[in-house]
Amino acid sequence: MPPANPPALLVLDGISRRYGDRVALAHLDLTLASGQCVAVLGVNGSGKSTLLRIAAGRDTPTAGRVVYSGRLLTEDDLLVRTEIAVVGDMASSYPDLTVREHLLLVAVAHGAGRGAGELADRALAECRLADHGGALPGALSSGQLQALHLAAVLVRPRRLMVLDEPEQRLDPAARRWLAGLLQAEKRAGATVLMATHHAELAASVADHVLVLSDGAVIAAGTPDEALAQIR
Amino acid sequence: MTVASGPIAIPDSTEPTISLLRELRRGRAARQAGNVAFWIYLAVLIVVAYGGSLVAAAVRDLRHPPPPGAQAAHVLAAAPAALSGLALLLLLILLRDALWRGPVTLPQATVDWLLDTPVDRGRLLRPRFRLSAVLAVLAGAAVGIVPAAALVALGLGGRGAGDVLRRTGAAMLSTALLFGLATGAAGVIERYPASWRWLRRATPAAAAVTAGLAGLAAWAALGRPPAAVATVVLWSGPWGWAAQGTVAAAGGSAPLWPAATALLGAAALAALAAGYRAAAAVPGGALRSRAATLGAMSAAMLSMDTRSVATAYSSGAGTSRRARFRLRPPRRRELVLLWRDLLAVGRAPSRLAGAVALTWLAVGLMALAARSRHVSLVPVACALTLGYLAAAWLCEAARLDAEDVRRSAHLPFRFESLAWWHTAVPGLILLVAAGLPVTAASVAAGRPQYILLLVVTVPVLVAGAMVNVFRGDFPLDMFGGVDTPVGNTAALRMVFWAAWGPVLAVAPMTALLASALGSAQHGPLARAVIVGAGLAGGLAAYAARRARRLRAA
Repeated sequence: MPPANPPALLVLDGISRRYGDRVALAHLDLTLASGQCVAVLGVNGSGKSTLLRIAAGRDTPTAGRVVYSGRLLTEDDLLVRTEIAVVGDMASSYPDLTVREHLLLVAVAHGAGRGAGELADRALAECRLADHGGALPGALSSGQLQALHLAAVLVRPRRLMVLDEPEQRLDPAARRWLAGLLQAEKRAGATVLMATHHAELAASVADHVLVLSDGAVIAAGTPDEALAQIR
Repeated sequence: MTVASGPIAIPDSTEPTISLLRELRRGRAARQAGNVAFWIYLAVLIVVAYGGSLVAAAVRDLRHPPPPGAQAAHVLAAAPAALSGLALLLLLILLRDALWRGPVTLPQATVDWLLDTPVDRGRLLRPRFRLSAVLAVLAGAAVGIVPAAALVALGLGGRGAGDVLRRTGAAMLSTALLFGLATGAAGVIERYPASWRWLRRATPAAAAVTAGLAGLAAWAALGRPPAAVATVVLWSGPWGWAAQGTVAAAGGSAPLWPAATALLGAAALAALAAGYRAAAAVPGGALRSRAATLGAMSAAMLSMDTRSVATAYSSGAGTSRRARFRLRPPRRRELVLLWRDLLAVGRAPSRLAGAVALTWLAVGLMALAARSRHVSLVPVACALTLGYLAAAWLCEAARLDAEDVRRSAHLPFRFESLAWWHTAVPGLILLVAAGLPVTAASVAAGRPQYILLLVVTVPVLVAGAMVNVFRGDFPLDMFGGVDTPVGNTAALRMVFWAAWGPVLAVAPMTALLASALGSAQHGPLARAVIVGAGLAGGLAAYAARRARRLRAA
C-alpha cells in the first residue's frame, strides 16, 4: 500500500512561459508525488508540450521555478539526463544505429554494463520490436519508432517519465498495449507525467488529470472529476 | 476475376495541353530569357572585374607558350594514365548523376500537374534529355580547355599558334564526346531502375581503378614503366580513347588517336540515341523523387544549409545506410561513445577511406615542404587544410548529434560534453593513419620531432572540425550584412561562418609548423607543441560552448 503522503518528486511553482507576446503557460502550479501518474489533456496549442518540456528540464520557464527532488532544476542539470526519461518530440533517433544498438547505447551509457544486452532484449520484446532489433530507424513505421522511444525509456533509470503524447502514431491495439505498459510501470513505482489527447488512456492510468486551455488550467482532479468538469 | 492486359483507348490530350501551356507561358519565356541574359552579364562582369587581368595574362601566355621545362618529360610520361584517370573520374561522376538528378529532370510543378495526366510523356521528357545532352556536350568542350591549357603552359606539343589550337581542339573534342557518351548512358540508366544498383556497386571499383591510374601516372612520372602499360591504358575503354587526342597533340605516343576518337564518337552517338529513346519511358517514381531531391537541394542551398544539401544528395542518390558493420558494445559507460563513433565510421567505409587518403596526401605534402631548407607557408597550409578535411569527414557521429539535439535525449551526458567525447575516434584514426608514414619518415630522417608535431597537430584539426560541427543553422540575418565604407560585410561574414573552424585551426598551426619544420633549434618545436596543445584545448572548449548554445537554442 503506498504511503499516505508520498514525498513530492517534482514541483512546478507558479511557472509561466511566454514566446514573445504569446503566453504558452500562465502561472501554473503542479506537484507530482513519487509514484504518481499525472495526465495533461488539452487541445493543440493549449500548452501541454511546453509544460512537459519545462518539467523535463528541456526548457526554462519565463517565471516561476521547477524543483526536482528537492533541488532547483535547470537546463544544464545532469539530473535531467540521468533520472528524467522523455518520450515524444523531445527525443529522436540516430539514422545509422539499429534499434537494438539504440537500446544498448542508452543502457551502457546509464551504467548497465554486462546486463545491457539482456535489458535491451527484454525491452525489445516488451515493446513488440523483437523482430526489428537489427533494423535501422529509417525502415521502421512511425508507430514502431514511437515504440523504440518507449523501449529506450525501459532500459534506463526512470525516476520520472515525461511522455508527450506517447499514444501518437499508435494503432488502437498498440494503444491498449501502451496502457498496459504504463500501468505496469506505475505498479513498479514509476512517476509519470504524460500529455495525451486520449481521455481513455488518461482515465486508465492517471491518478490525477489536468486540463489545459490557452496555457491555463481549466479543470483538475481525479480522471472522473476532471473529465466531468469539461463535459 | 479476369484481369485485362490489353491497351486502353484514352484520347490523346498532348497537343491541346502543350498548346495551352505554350499560350500561358508566352510572356514567361521572354522573362526567362531576360533572366538568363542577366546572369550571363553578371558572370561576365565578375570575371572581368575580379579576374580580368588574370584572364588577359593567361591568354597572352597561351599565345606565346614557354619552351618545355624540366618537368615536361615527366608530365608527358604521366599524361596517358593521368588523363585516362581524369576521364574515368568525370565519366563516373556524370554516370552517377543518373542516380539522383539524371539527364531527364522535370520541374516540381510539371511533376505535380502533368505527370498524372494522359499527356504523352515523350513530348515532356525528350526535350529535357535533348537540352541536357546539348548542355553536357558544351560543358565537356569547355572542360577540355583545362588540360589543353595545362599542356600549353608546360610547353608541350609545339609553340606555334596552330599547335596550340590543335591541342585545344583535340582536348575539347575528346571531352565533349566523353560528356555526350556519359549523358546518353545516364539517360539509359535513369530509364531502368534495376541498373541503379549495379552502378552503385560498380562505383567503388571504378574509384579504385581511378586511384590505380593515378598511381600509374606517378610511376610513369618518376620511374620507367614498360611502354605497353601506357598503350593498354589508352585502349582500356572510353576514358583511354578520350585521352588519346590530347596525348597525341602534346607530343606523346598515341599514333592511332583518330581511330580512338572515332570510336569514342561512335560510342557517344550510340549512347545519345539510346538515351533519347529511353527518355520517354523514365518511370514516374524516378521523376518524382528527382524533382523532390532537386527542390530540397535548392531550398537548402538558398538557406546556405550545406548539411541538408548533402543529406538531400545522399537520399536522392540512394546511398542508404546499412548496418552491416557490427561491433560488440563495451561494458564501461566511459567507452560507449567511442563505440558509437566507431560504428559510425565502420558503416561509412568510403568516408574512412577518403579521410585516410586525404591524410596521406597531407603527410606527403608536408614531407615535400619539410625537404626544403626554408619551409614555405603555402604547402604547409595546404597540407593542414587536407588534414582538416580528413578530420571533418570523420566527425559524422558528432554531426548527427549537432543536427538534431534530441537524438542524445536518452544519454546521461551534458550536450556540451559530447563535443569532447566525439573528438576521440577521429583523433585516434588520424593519429594511426598519419602516424605510420610520419613515424617511418621520422626514423629515416632521425628527427623524432615529426612525431611530436603530429601528436599536437591532429587534436587541433579535430577540435577545429568540432567547432564547425556545432555551429548550428546558418543565421539568415547574415544575408543582410552591414554596410561599411569598403562594402557590405555579408559575403565576408558568410565565408567566415562557413570556414571558422578551419581558419582557427589551420592558420595558427601553419605558422607554428612551418617554423618548427624549418628550424633545427628546440625553441620553435617547443613553441609549436605548447601553443598547439593550448590551441587544441581552447578549440575543443569553444566547440563545447557552441554545443551548449546549440542545445539552448
